[in-house]
Amino acid sequence: MNLETKNLTTGYDKKVIINDLDISIQQGKINIIIGSNGCGKSTLLKNIARLQRPMSGSIMLDSRDIHSYESKEFARKLGLLPQSPVVPEGISVFDLVTRGRFPYRKFMSNLKDEDYTAVNSALSLVGITELADRHIDELSGGQRQRVWIALALAQETDILLLDEPTTYLDIQYQIEILDLLFELNRTKGTTVVMVLHDINLSSRYGDYIFALKEGKLVDHGDPKKIITKDLMKEVYELNCLIIPDPLTQDPMVIPIGKHSSTKQIKR
Amino acid sequence: MNKQLNSYKTRLHTYRIKRAILILLVASAAILALCIGNTNYSPLYVIKVLLKIESKGSFTINTLRLPRMLAGLAAGFALGMAGYIFQTLLRNPLASPDVIGVSAGTSTAAVFSILVLGFQGPFVSVIAIAIGLAIAFTIYFLSKVHGHFSHIKMILIGIGFQAMLTAMTNYLLTRSAEFDVASTLQWLSGSLNGIMMDNIPWYLFSILTLFLILLMLNPNLELIILGDELSKSLGMQLNKVFNLFIIIGVLLVALTTAITGPIASVAFLSGPIAVRIFHNNRSNLVTAGLIGSFIVLSADLLANNVFSVHYPVGVITGILGAPYLILLLITISKGRK
Repeated sequence: MNLETKNLTTGYDKKVIINDLDISIQQGKINIIIGSNGCGKSTLLKNIARLQRPMSGSIMLDSRDIHSYESKEFARKLGLLPQSPVVPEGISVFDLVTRGRFPYRKFMSNLKDEDYTAVNSALSLVGITELADRHIDELSGGQRQRVWIALALAQETDILLLDEPTTYLDIQYQIEILDLLFELNRTKGTTVVMVLHDINLSSRYGDYIFALKEGKLVDHGDPKKIITKDLMKEVYELNCLIIPDPLTQDPMVIPIGKHSSTKQIKR
Repeated sequence: MNKQLNSYKTRLHTYRIKRAILILLVASAAILALCIGNTNYSPLYVIKVLLKIESKGSFTINTLRLPRMLAGLAAGFALGMAGYIFQTLLRNPLASPDVIGVSAGTSTAAVFSILVLGFQGPFVSVIAIAIGLAIAFTIYFLSKVHGHFSHIKMILIGIGFQAMLTAMTNYLLTRSAEFDVASTLQWLSGSLNGIMMDNIPWYLFSILTLFLILLMLNPNLELIILGDELSKSLGMQLNKVFNLFIIIGVLLVALTTAITGPIASVAFLSGPIAVRIFHNNRSNLVTAGLIGSFIVLSADLLANNVFSVHYPVGVITGILGAPYLILLLITISKGRK
């Protein structure tokens, strides 16, 4: 599954958000897109997921333009967890996750044994087997997020896109979800492409980082190599210190604010 | 691992039992509609009359009650499905065709062609359907913002159209003193009074055809409740499917309104009742249709047999709809807090 953008220019209405972007997603790795608000991270993800059409340029999956795929065929190759999915009422987790089998359903046919197997293994992979009979609107944010991931897993795609999967979650759930994605990537070899806000978590969990600014690629590569003071300055206009994460030795960003030192003096 | 699958199958089983009970209820209401009235007949006798074994009561049963029952059955089914489609597509319980001007458009057109243009018979239905469709699609195209369709805009524009069209119908009716009150009421609130057998075959055929197309599209409704982005990423051709559903939904309502007038609240109520009883584990298209049939048939039985005056069925369904609308508005505003 080779996924890359070629001279991708895209945006909303007539406003260009991403301009002439060439990136190549690393197969079988955890790819993380970072950048400040409005830099085009989500727009990029939406274009890759075919939710939006490029203005010019193209996105190629296995050397074919993604828009040349039939829609169910494409959905068997690439799954998406949107930033804030609609939470339907009165639907149990198991039944919700069966909807992930839509791209495999033939015209007018019912779910088959292999569909149930896929649903069951998706539920157990994300560790929510015991929630199968609960209604999704009764679950906590972290549990819901697992349900959405299970739905995308039931889709059985080689590539999984996630738009800020940790944004509305408490910190313990953020770590749980990222651990889960890490395990999926390492055990099943699923290529993960996600947008994350938190640089330190990106640096810890990402195998490969794409740093965007105003729709252009500033740098890309192994977080150990590219997360630097200069990059933070350029992408976020942030002054910072970079220290090695005491646990993992990955680069860790310590922001320097206007009053960082004054507060210290007061103490 | 099989525990989850088993409880899934139990849910499916419960769903099927509930649906079978609902079908039985609809069937009983349909049979009652043939048996009960000014003269009561036993179900067995009714069958004999239908099969032309007995001839006494043939006028009452074959000419008066049968077309009335068939129209009620199909109209309820069509309105129930159309309401569920609109509410699901627009993800809003207020987004029912009888709230957002679709049925009002058809009935205004019918009243206009009868009273102002002086047309009669099936020609009125054809014009009513054509203008009803035109008004529905005007609402639809006005709801596009920069080429993107806006759900909430469609609902608001629709409610505006609804008010305007109902006012026009009222105006036209008050201007025509010679027009008799019974037919007037049909175009205000919908009625099964005076439905002729001549109109029934083509109406049933159209509703059945649309129903078969909907059955093929049905799995898509299970995805649409997950939102646009997930629907698309699961391989659904959202825009195509969305437009097709809107066209079929509007056709169901326009065809029905041309036959019965705008039977109030059926489209609005059926979907939420079906969801309450059957939950959202699978599409409620068919169950909402069955609920619609049941509402119309039982409301018509009530209207004809309980009160000394034979009210149009729409008066009874309208009374059912009002408290639900109030309840809905209260729960929506509570949800905001």
